Amino acid sequence: MFSNVQSAALNGLEAYMVRVEADISDGMPQLLMVGYLSSEVREAGDRVRTALRNTGIALPPKRITVNLAPAGIRKAGSRFDLPVAAAILASLEKIPGQGLEDVMLAGELSLSGQVLPVPGILALVEAARDAGIRRCIVPDKNAAEGAVLEEVEVIGVSSLAELIEILRHPEKAVRVRVDTTELLREQNFSGGEDFAEVNGQASVRRAAEIAAAGMHNLLMIGPPGSGKTMIARRIAGILPAVSLQESLEITKLYSVAGLLPEQTSLMVKRPFRSPHHTVTPEALAGGGRVPAPGEISLSSGGILFLDEFPEFRRNALEILRQPLEDRRVCISRTAGTYVFPAKCMLVAAMNPCPCGYYPDRGRCTCTEEEAARYLGRISRPLLDRIDICTEVPEISYEELTEKRKNESSWEIRRRVERAHEMQKDRFLGMPSAFNAYLSGKEVEKYCPLGKKEQKLIKNAFVKLNLSGRAYYKIIKTARTIADLEGEARILEQHLLEAVHYRIPDYTCRRRSL
Amino acid sequence: MSETREACWHWLSSSLVGETALLWRLVERYGTPESIFAVREEDLQKAFPKNPGGIRRLCQGRREWDFAREEERLVRLGMSFVSCEHLAYPRRLQNISQKPGGIYFRGKLPEDDRPSIGIVGARACSAYGRSAALWFAKELAGAGVQIVSGMASGIDGFGHWGALEAGGKTFGVLGGGVDICYPKSHQELYLRLEQEGGLLSENPPGTKAMSHLFPLRNRIISGLSDAVLIIEAKGKSGSLITADTALEQGRDVYAVPGRLADPLSAGCNHLIGQGAGIALSPQYILDEMGIISKSIKKKKERTQKDLEKAENMVYSCLGLQARKPEELCEETELSLIEVLRILGSLELKGYAKEVYKNYYIRAL
Repeated sequence: MFSNVQSAALNGLEAYMVRVEADISDGMPQLLMVGYLSSEVREAGDRVRTALRNTGIALPPKRITVNLAPAGIRKAGSRFDLPVAAAILASLEKIPGQGLEDVMLAGELSLSGQVLPVPGILALVEAARDAGIRRCIVPDKNAAEGAVLEEVEVIGVSSLAELIEILRHPEKAVRVRVDTTELLREQNFSGGEDFAEVNGQASVRRAAEIAAAGMHNLLMIGPPGSGKTMIARRIAGILPAVSLQESLEITKLYSVAGLLPEQTSLMVKRPFRSPHHTVTPEALAGGGRVPAPGEISLSSGGILFLDEFPEFRRNALEILRQPLEDRRVCISRTAGTYVFPAKCMLVAAMNPCPCGYYPDRGRCTCTEEEAARYLGRISRPLLDRIDICTEVPEISYEELTEKRKNESSWEIRRRVERAHEMQKDRFLGMPSAFNAYLSGKEVEKYCPLGKKEQKLIKNAFVKLNLSGRAYYKIIKTARTIADLEGEARILEQHLLEAVHYRIPDYTCRRRSL
Repeated sequence: MSETREACWHWLSSSLVGETALLWRLVERYGTPESIFAVREEDLQKAFPKNPGGIRRLCQGRREWDFAREEERLVRLGMSFVSCEHLAYPRRLQNISQKPGGIYFRGKLPEDDRPSIGIVGARACSAYGRSAALWFAKELAGAGVQIVSGMASGIDGFGHWGALEAGGKTFGVLGGGVDICYPKSHQELYLRLEQEGGLLSENPPGTKAMSHLFPLRNRIISGLSDAVLIIEAKGKSGSLITADTALEQGRDVYAVPGRLADPLSAGCNHLIGQGAGIALSPQYILDEMGIISKSIKKKKERTQKDLEKAENMVYSCLGLQARKPEELCEETELSLIEVLRILGSLELKGYAKEVYKNYYIRAL
């Protein structure tokens, strides 16, 4: 007898519906799996057969054919075990066949009949919702993740026996519920790393605040042990709280990448990713035969922290250029193009020179040329994408042990949130939601300068030997500083401060007094 | 032997790179370079048994030496050679011990009747050293003093740049051949020196800049100068060799004072302790040396004129030692944001300069 159930397969971040069909007929006793399957899907047959037997259901000596439609797209992953089992059960008439079209199933089976969690549940449930399916049966360890979409009824199962029970008596199923509003509210009060723990470093704190307020990429230069990593880890905490939509996007990514912690329903914290400098270009930007999101996508909505910036492989860094501009990564394969988001804020840290102590002449053994060459390892086009550069000085013993109460992340975040609000109003209905995302043309339009300000920036352009890019970067940064102060117009004082955050240009430093 | 005396000096200088002592012993024994050219190798070896290697190199070069070709090579490289018997040979070098047999140069040679000062110091210098070198060089060159230095990275380079900025004459004494730009990163300086001053060396073209040649080069820097100014030097520094040779040659030595416990000022402070002149300002050195300068104008007191009160406060905290905005906050009791904005404004008005990310000095 023929039966079919619904499941879904992943394609990058998006899922599409897959129909799992089973048919039992006379013939050589065997279980045949067809439908352009990768080997882990093909193996589902053996897992399902054994799991069924261990649940007390022996397959009859008949020819069983299982097809995954559409047959033209390659299917991968272990999430088809559950629908295959359900389809076979239905064709064996162990469970009622009607009503299954309205249920999406996904999950892996162990030989004993246990249901194991699988990645990408949120994306699968989303696809089911879009296809008009009302009920999803997923591994119970993933149920909380799927349940964040309120339009769909999500049911968790822990064993094959439980699945059979639910399919026989659908009314007995208990829907898993998650209160997303409560989850999102909790993050405001969650502890963790706080700027209150950072002593001293006033100018770095200020630079980080401005960077967060306008989503500008940030470069920190400082000797080892001065606190660059410590500060970077805290920047995610001063960004505004994630919205439900952002949170869903982040959760989906982590779920697809298999990085979502078990029993987690939503990622309510902004991600902080800190890949080691030996990372490959593929791991940084995403890739693989079946493309998986890379670090730049995994930090979307949060911070991508690259410590020891010049030590990264050149080709790994250069691959960042396009994603930083477009805020998405496109990976092309013969099977199609995969798109992952890359809306991260890049925070890079580096030593000022190979030995790490320049310009402290007591300890630094490098010449000026060596220090310049060290920064020169990062290509100019990449530096051009970093709006704010600051120095992280070494901290003194007094500052380190001081017991003064520092400003907490929460207080800083409130100011940043206000700046974000101002930008939201300004860029209503625009793709650029932040000052950092403005193109040169948009700068002219959204950041007009008064007479006095124009005179000042002209003077700076000549005096400081600015490039065209640096000019726009200064105006964008000044716009963010003005936003932090709630100022509708860019004033002289904002430009004067923005001038500080430009990236040092070594080549024109040497000759004049 | 029909070759000119100059050509023979050229041969002798070319063959004895870094062996000036041997060169003068040979000249003492045989009188002229022509006669040295004619002596057989065995006789030379017999006469100088202590330095067989030097003699061997001399004779090897002699076998392949082609006077016409070598002359042509100099012309092709745009270089000139003056022997110590030539009229154009710098007069200051005539009376130093172990003077170079000849000088290869591009551009010009220092003028004998114009005062000249050597500026030397650490390669890995601080922002303080950089500003000091630029300032002294600029003001001295502006007063008509020729600036001699070694074109090395750090203080030497800034000495040259300072002089160039004032439109003065400045001369780079190289450790290797004049046709080789060392360090490579000074390509632009190298070209400017050739056009607006001179590049010179006692070593023939093609000589690689090797470490043992640099101490020898230092005696030429001090030799070409009436006084040597040490800007920054560690306790054990090559610049102190220059100071020593300067003293041997009877030149004045000035050192820029530094802070206690600053390793880059240890050498300078030590020199001052030993009796070197203290370089308090360019004007001070000019007065000491009795150079009357018309071009050094009394620096107008710029403070209070076009600065606001807060700006003036920050400006008065700035010196030649690089300072961070945080330190200035503490001293002026202004907020960080105010200090950052004031520094930006001072920088644009030309009163302050960011020498390194977040480090500011007073612009001179």
